Amino acid sequence: MSALLEVRDLRLQFGGVTAVDGLSFEVREGEILAVIGPNGAGKTSAFNCISGFYLPTAGSVVFDGKAIVRAVPAIWRRLGLVNLLQSFGFYRVLPSRVTKWGMARTFQNLRLFRELSVLENVTTAMHANLREGFWSTLLHTPGYRRAEAACVREARGWLDFVGFEDDEQLYVTQLPYGEQRRVEIARALATSPKLLLLDEPAAGLNFNEKQTLMRLIRKIRGLGVAVVLIEHDMGLVMELAERIVVLNYGKEIADGAPEDVKRNPAVIEAYLGVYESEDAS
Amino acid sequence: MARDLDHALKHVPLRAPAPLYERPQPPKGVFSSQRGFMRALGLVAVLLVAVLPFMDASRYTMSIATSALIYVMLCMGLNVVVGYAGLLDLGYIAFFAVGAYISGIFTTVLGWPMWAALIATIVACITAGIIIGAPTLRLRSDYLAIVTLGFGEIIRITANNLKITGGPSGIHGIPTWSFGPWGFDDGFNLFGIDFPERVVFYYFVAAVVIVVGVIGAGRLAKGRLGRAWKAVRDDEDAAEAMGINTYIAKISAYIIGAVWAGMAGQLMATHLSAISPNSFQFLYSALILMAVVLGGMGSTPGVIIGALFVSLAPELLRDFAEWRYLIFGVLLVVVMLFRPSGLWPATAVLPWLRRTRPTPPAFTEATAVPASVMESVDGTPTTEAHEGDRA
Repeated sequence: MSALLEVRDLRLQFGGVTAVDGLSFEVREGEILAVIGPNGAGKTSAFNCISGFYLPTAGSVVFDGKAIVRAVPAIWRRLGLVNLLQSFGFYRVLPSRVTKWGMARTFQNLRLFRELSVLENVTTAMHANLREGFWSTLLHTPGYRRAEAACVREARGWLDFVGFEDDEQLYVTQLPYGEQRRVEIARALATSPKLLLLDEPAAGLNFNEKQTLMRLIRKIRGLGVAVVLIEHDMGLVMELAERIVVLNYGKEIADGAPEDVKRNPAVIEAYLGVYESEDAS
Repeated sequence: MARDLDHALKHVPLRAPAPLYERPQPPKGVFSSQRGFMRALGLVAVLLVAVLPFMDASRYTMSIATSALIYVMLCMGLNVVVGYAGLLDLGYIAFFAVGAYISGIFTTVLGWPMWAALIATIVACITAGIIIGAPTLRLRSDYLAIVTLGFGEIIRITANNLKITGGPSGIHGIPTWSFGPWGFDDGFNLFGIDFPERVVFYYFVAAVVIVVGVIGAGRLAKGRLGRAWKAVRDDEDAAEAMGINTYIAKISAYIIGAVWAGMAGQLMATHLSAISPNSFQFLYSALILMAVVLGGMGSTPGVIIGALFVSLAPELLRDFAEWRYLIFGVLLVVVMLFRPSGLWPATAVLPWLRRTRPTPPAFTEATAVPASVMESVDGTPTTEAHEGDRA
């Protein structure tokens, strides 16, 4: 199988702090990959680089044959204009473009649109796929009405798919936490991704909700969508993931099947520490 | 349906599975749906606006009503920028000034007819929106507010010092609408009813423009672009992650706000037939912003109420002479204290349509799940764990 996402030597520095230090991994089409690591290991920073929010210091990210990190000509670096140019969208790929290419993501702390209803939250995510122009919206042409109807139908399809059973006209802030998580996944799916990045999807969920989440993630994979998830719940990761990448201090320390990773001494050391080393220091 | 979907949505690799069940059609009645009620309310408002000149067509009333309508137009424009897109703009009056001056210069200095000046105004406002918006929209909230404040003053001071804008005394003798030989100044006699005043005619022009402006802004807010604006307002990063180019969304809000303000400026210039830099002071930016916040950001009925309040209250309080601005201020404070999210908030639902979630029953011994049931669910005894938590 060909690689859908290829990350090579990704490095991200904030001043003197190296958040991601030479990370390389790849995601194949239609697989479930888990990225784990202790707190502060650089998992979310890596996600932010991949989805275009952060600009990595070095390295390359190729998604579906398209480069997400772009090279800046040396002249701009010498003139010190790199940040200015990039803030205007030059020499970088905006996250919105990455999403249009087919990579969707959720956020660690829920970031739904708080003043929109559940249905509107999902229809908003279909922005890039909707044929609606300025004049057709202003004049409410038949084409506009068709597009709106199609958009609502599609959104309801996704809400049913993720198992949302509450009232779709409620504001998201009126929903319990578990339901908000579902809406966020429905919203990400509505961008019609090939790859879905889930940042701690099980955080704050109870046992039953985690079971439903696992079924949902398998269902998403069943649609042919590759899933990459950051997660701290080892039970869930071991049961769900086909491959696991382990990070510590921004470095990749293991990459392999769950059974191999579980037995990997470097992983055990990262999570539990080693007695001898403490004595030595 | 599937073909419709293919036509309406761009080709995308992944389509949602069909909904599990067809949702019931939403109710359509005037009192059984929010949408029906708002439409009926809008119709009543339009009728009131249309009937007003037949009740009282005095020069004073018509003049006040026209400027109130112009305020509504301005506030709808600012509502797109502040209410929908969440960009705090303290120099909004600049676009009003651009509209007023462009139409004033084109009709008096260049002698263009009003309809041609209207097109020039729209083009100028789009340009002004891009020029002011493009460099500033990378900034966030507070910084953006300060920069727009600066731009507002720049436009006013430029108008104050240029020769073509007439300097501090402004532009006089802006003509009203005319169609070939007949203009609004000539008056009109229809079925024995006399329409003598250009003021009355002009009121109708303003009314039509404002009705179109209000409906247009409302429609834009409901469509794809409006959802993008609201998404940017609620969470810019999440909006970007959902495939919305936030820069384009913000600048389009800015341009549409500028065009709405420019139309209002054109209406104002023609209505008063004279403009001067004094009409475009920071105070007016603040007043319009206040009208939007007072009415309820992002809410069409709220913004209209706010605009009417801000434009009409000083007139209605005229009996109190120099006390009127004090009373006006106190009224505002009282309104904001009791309705902090505005007189008619965007999230307001008509009281009889309010959706109620069944409140979950309080946790008591009777509703508690027995430990034996929990064991059968997840295969582990739970009572000990719970006791451990409590300890």
